[in-house]
Amino acid sequence: MPNQLGHFLYRASIAAISIALLIFAWAMFARFFAYPDLVPSPWDTFDTGAQMLSNGELLAHVGISLERVLIGYATGCISGVLIGALMGRIRIVSQLADPLLQLARPISPVALVPLSIIWFGIGDMSRYFIIFYGVVIIMIINTAAGVASTPNIRLNAARCLGAKRSQIFWRVVIPSAVPYILTGMRVALGFAFMGIVAAEMIAAQSGIGYLIMQSRMLLRTDIMFVGLVTLGIVGAVIDGLFKLAIDRTMKRYMEHQVNV
Amino acid sequence: MSQAASWDALTLENVSLTFNAGKPNEYRALAGTSITIRRGEFYCLLGPSGCGKSTILNLVAGFLRPDSGSIRMGNREIEGANTDRVVVFQDVTNALLPWLRTYENVEFGLSLQGLPRTETTRRAMAYLELVGLKDHARKFPYELSGGMKQRCQLARALVLEPQVLLMDEPFAALDAITKRIMQKELIRIWQQYRMTVIYITHDVGEALLLGQKIAIMRRGPASAVKEEFIIDQPYPRMITDESVAAAYVKAEASLQAEVGVSLNA
Repeated sequence: MPNQLGHFLYRASIAAISIALLIFAWAMFARFFAYPDLVPSPWDTFDTGAQMLSNGELLAHVGISLERVLIGYATGCISGVLIGALMGRIRIVSQLADPLLQLARPISPVALVPLSIIWFGIGDMSRYFIIFYGVVIIMIINTAAGVASTPNIRLNAARCLGAKRSQIFWRVVIPSAVPYILTGMRVALGFAFMGIVAAEMIAAQSGIGYLIMQSRMLLRTDIMFVGLVTLGIVGAVIDGLFKLAIDRTMKRYMEHQVNV
Repeated sequence: MSQAASWDALTLENVSLTFNAGKPNEYRALAGTSITIRRGEFYCLLGPSGCGKSTILNLVAGFLRPDSGSIRMGNREIEGANTDRVVVFQDVTNALLPWLRTYENVEFGLSLQGLPRTETTRRAMAYLELVGLKDHARKFPYELSGGMKQRCQLARALVLEPQVLLMDEPFAALDAITKRIMQKELIRIWQQYRMTVIYITHDVGEALLLGQKIAIMRRGPASAVKEEFIIDQPYPRMITDESVAAAYVKAEASLQAEVGVSLNA
């Protein structure tokens, strides 16, 4: 245990040094090379951020963005797992869906923003759609790969232990795909965050993306930086929590499954 | 179970099987293999790699169907996998379910039958005790050593009280000492339950320590059983026991002749 603690402290101090170096470089750049209006100093950014935090503005934007992410992400994950499982299980579904997936994969969620506004209007529905789209593609691909990669030996073992087709699917194939599904969920979360900013930059009155876009109009680069830093922090914290939650599960599979 | 209880021998009769028939990678694995295994017998299949040992096991398990010939338990033709024939695989890491605890792995087959949880757990614990794994019941497979995992897989098979235990080089990946211990444990359990064991190995010594009958297989393709040795020697055996050593020399010579090399020249 003390060893683990020592290791944690070591990693934490390295991380702190890394961030301190970034802030130092940023401060130097802002001080000596750039116009203050173009590159706000870390202190100005911090001041603006503290002010926006205390009047509740920042948290309101973060909250509304997270809510949108959550809805698009959850529906995307559920649909992706269902479709991916069908693909991994029924060959013709996979053969039909695969070309479509290959075509859809290079189309980034950002490219769908204009279309989704035409389809769904400027309300939240268009933003859910953009996030859903980014998430569902990844989840389909990962789930299908996971379902298809169930070791043959495990399927045979289940058969001689008396498992019927549906039991094999629900009690062997789907659990075997869990590492792939969790990995997909983690990658998809990153995509959801990229998607929400793109979706909020156009036709939104709230959210982090709106905040960043709005500060461009006002030439408030300090607010813009607050938005960017907030995005980084919120994303990293959520990803860290996610990793913490899945590490225990993944450990059980690690020995012979994909490394993440 | 009741209908199967009447069988007295498991027979393969003139079994042939070709993989990828008609394709460029066509492979004729078995050509007219016939084997008779008496009920309750410990039967070792010994042969060089690629000789079709595992193919025979997969046929008996019901994972594969033969192109021609028949595989029967008594009068009943084997059709598909069933809990009266359970396989213990060499690749235990993939054979076990990594998301289930040791005892949950053991009760998996019972739970598929819809038995109440308390009952399945009770029986699983009894068989974990039999294989000496009771203290590790709550661990996950990744927390078990190779030998312990293999004990878990053995318990998972035995809990279903199969009539035939199919073992596909189950201890080949274990270290020498663990392997010896596991062999001894297996003999102890077999002497207690007297199920039929079909044991696949490429290790002459292992076959001689375990088997009542040892079948040496011809090298593939188009493999079949070349000859059978009966080892009429009580357990536990030592490789240095006179009759075991004598059989060893003969079996080894037969195997070397099959591979086409002489290793003691």
